[in-house]
Amino acid sequence: MDWQVLSSQAENKGIRLDPRTKIFLLLTISILVVGGEVSGIMIVIKPLTALIPFLLLLSSGKWRQAICFTTLFTILFLCELLILPAMGTSGFLLLFFCGLFGRLLPGVVMGYYTVSTTTVSEFVAAMERMHVTQKLIIPLAVLFRFFPTVMEEYHNIGDAMRMRGIRIGGRKTSKMLEYRFIPMMICSVKIGEELSAASLTRGLGAPIKRTNICQVGFHKFDGCMLLYGGLMLVLNLFRAIGLLW
Amino acid sequence: MLEFNNVSFSYDAASTSGQISNITLTIPEGQVVLICGESGCGKTTLTRLINGLIPNYYEGDLLGSVRVHGDKISEKALYEIAPVVGSVFQNPRSQFFAVDTNSELAFGCENLGWPEEKITARMKEVVADFHIQFLMNRSIFALSGGEKQKIACASAAMMNPEILVLDEPSSNLDLKSIHELGKVIRLWKDQGKTIIIAEHRLSYLMDLVDRVLYMRDGEITDDMSIQEFKKLSREEIARMGLRSRLPIDFKQHYKTASLSDEQITMSNFYFSYGNQPALQIDSVSVPKGSVIGIVGSNGAGKTTLARCLCGLEKKSSGEIHMDGKSYSSKKRLNLCYMVMQNPSHQLFTEAVLDEVMLSMDGNEDDQVTAEQILMDLNIETLKQRHPMSLSGGQQQRVAIASAVASGREIMVFDEPTSGLDFRHMEEVAAVLEKLQQMGKTLFIITHDPELIQRCCDYFLFVENGKVKWSEHWNEHSESELAAFFAEENGL
Repeated sequence: MDWQVLSSQAENKGIRLDPRTKIFLLLTISILVVGGEVSGIMIVIKPLTALIPFLLLLSSGKWRQAICFTTLFTILFLCELLILPAMGTSGFLLLFFCGLFGRLLPGVVMGYYTVSTTTVSEFVAAMERMHVTQKLIIPLAVLFRFFPTVMEEYHNIGDAMRMRGIRIGGRKTSKMLEYRFIPMMICSVKIGEELSAASLTRGLGAPIKRTNICQVGFHKFDGCMLLYGGLMLVLNLFRAIGLLW
Repeated sequence: MLEFNNVSFSYDAASTSGQISNITLTIPEGQVVLICGESGCGKTTLTRLINGLIPNYYEGDLLGSVRVHGDKISEKALYEIAPVVGSVFQNPRSQFFAVDTNSELAFGCENLGWPEEKITARMKEVVADFHIQFLMNRSIFALSGGEKQKIACASAAMMNPEILVLDEPSSNLDLKSIHELGKVIRLWKDQGKTIIIAEHRLSYLMDLVDRVLYMRDGEITDDMSIQEFKKLSREEIARMGLRSRLPIDFKQHYKTASLSDEQITMSNFYFSYGNQPALQIDSVSVPKGSVIGIVGSNGAGKTTLARCLCGLEKKSSGEIHMDGKSYSSKKRLNLCYMVMQNPSHQLFTEAVLDEVMLSMDGNEDDQVTAEQILMDLNIETLKQRHPMSLSGGQQQRVAIASAVASGREIMVFDEPTSGLDFRHMEEVAAVLEKLQQMGKTLFIITHDPELIQRCCDYFLFVENGKVKWSEHWNEHSESELAAFFAEENGL
């Protein structure tokens, strides 16, 4: 994944969701799509849940990604549903492929959507609304901030390695990992130190309740998506207690 | 009012670099003060004492007192100092907390718990003052260095501090952005703020500062008004180890050195980022064995040219012809070597000697050769040190040594003298001359007129991804360069 994704100033096209809604949907997808067998009512629940990232991608104007994702998911899902039972054990590799990717794909796409459309400040604001402790929020926010910087370092070091002929099949292949990570760690420590100094001079850590200028809140679209996700969870619950087959 | 009363400080680390002693100083309200001196003279330490990072963040032995309006800085917490003293640092990459510009501006005020309406109102004022409407609502990672520094200044201004401290704010900027930075300082000066700037680059500050402090070995050895400072002769400035106060005059310096007849030809260099063409060079030749300055505005394609030259852009087309052979992009990875702006990215091993030998093929006499190279570059005493424990300038030399060891014919330098004082700039220039004597061809991306005047003997002027002209020193190139630097300086 391109590091730009993580740093993107939320591409605010289309409808915006509250970060809390996104997290809820991410959890819903993880619970419903990743595990379990494909039988009974699940044949309906799974694709309906996988519809969520499709809708969200559409709503933010990412047509190409939306269509690619849906096509891929449909093929994998149908494969798992129809072809595999007919093949028996000989289809082990195919099972592995379809099972793994088909189940992980919706979650990954949802994750991509969440990260690429949420700014750090929105994230912090939403966390504060949920009364998560500052001790957790600040490290998470720093992590968001830190990723793109570290990725930049990572690319620079990669360039330097290629210039020195350190590559697979080239010089010192066995030490590639060490050569990549040691300079990166040292640079990261240095950047981290400067970053802390800079944020301290701007009052981070004051024992005062922080304000946040970022507007987060639930709107109609949040309501719809929450209901939809909730409905899927309820259907699954009914299945679990035997009300649905 | 800012008072230093007999202040001494030394960092916990064993090195004496950056320690200061017996500083007594009073800075009245509204004064703009320039602190200059060679690297390690204690400039940065002085700024840290004002913004409270010493002793709150950097630890060491502190004697004496620093007071703002009579309050001792050392007895205050950093968040209490934050609304009074604003800081701008050297590295634009590591002074942002948020990833988008709006949150970055708001960050300080949010920390202090200002109500939302007040923050939004103040943000409007600052955005208008700094003319940065076009930077709002953008990802910080998509900004240029100059734009980042502008956001850093605006963020410091958000809490409306009376005192502003800038630590080498121009180090990573090109001339145009430095000029913009000058405008910001002018704005603060007009608002009556007290401004303390530690800086190597002097020319942009000459009409802004009121007072100049010159530091040497941790002490203020000269305290003069700007009028007195301007009266110092060029020789005195050089002796003090300071950069030029005036834009460089290339006239007296052009040497028509005998350049080699052998040529290196670059042909069909094309590269684009997405649909955006970044480089379009049909054919250009440079004399082999010369020092070629790659000059042009930011975003003109200088870095892209250098990356294509080194074979780092896989998708770039183009070939280099040298000594009757041609080198494709892939082959150039072993022909050219780039010394990066931050050389710590390109050092991998645990000792300087290993670092140099890493570039060799593992023959028996490698060690002898490696030691000879270290000797040539005056770093043989460092051979057992860990590369990461060295200073930036030393790391740069180790990177150069490893390039020499691997027998590269072409070396590319990305801003080798940004943020360096006069003495270190001279040292870099001396190393470049040595490399030229070894017969290497050097390409130097630079914004540093003093370095250009000192060592370049050929130029590629890049504009909009094309080479606008390429020439050695002559009347035309001299006047073009003078005009370019004058424009960049906003003259």
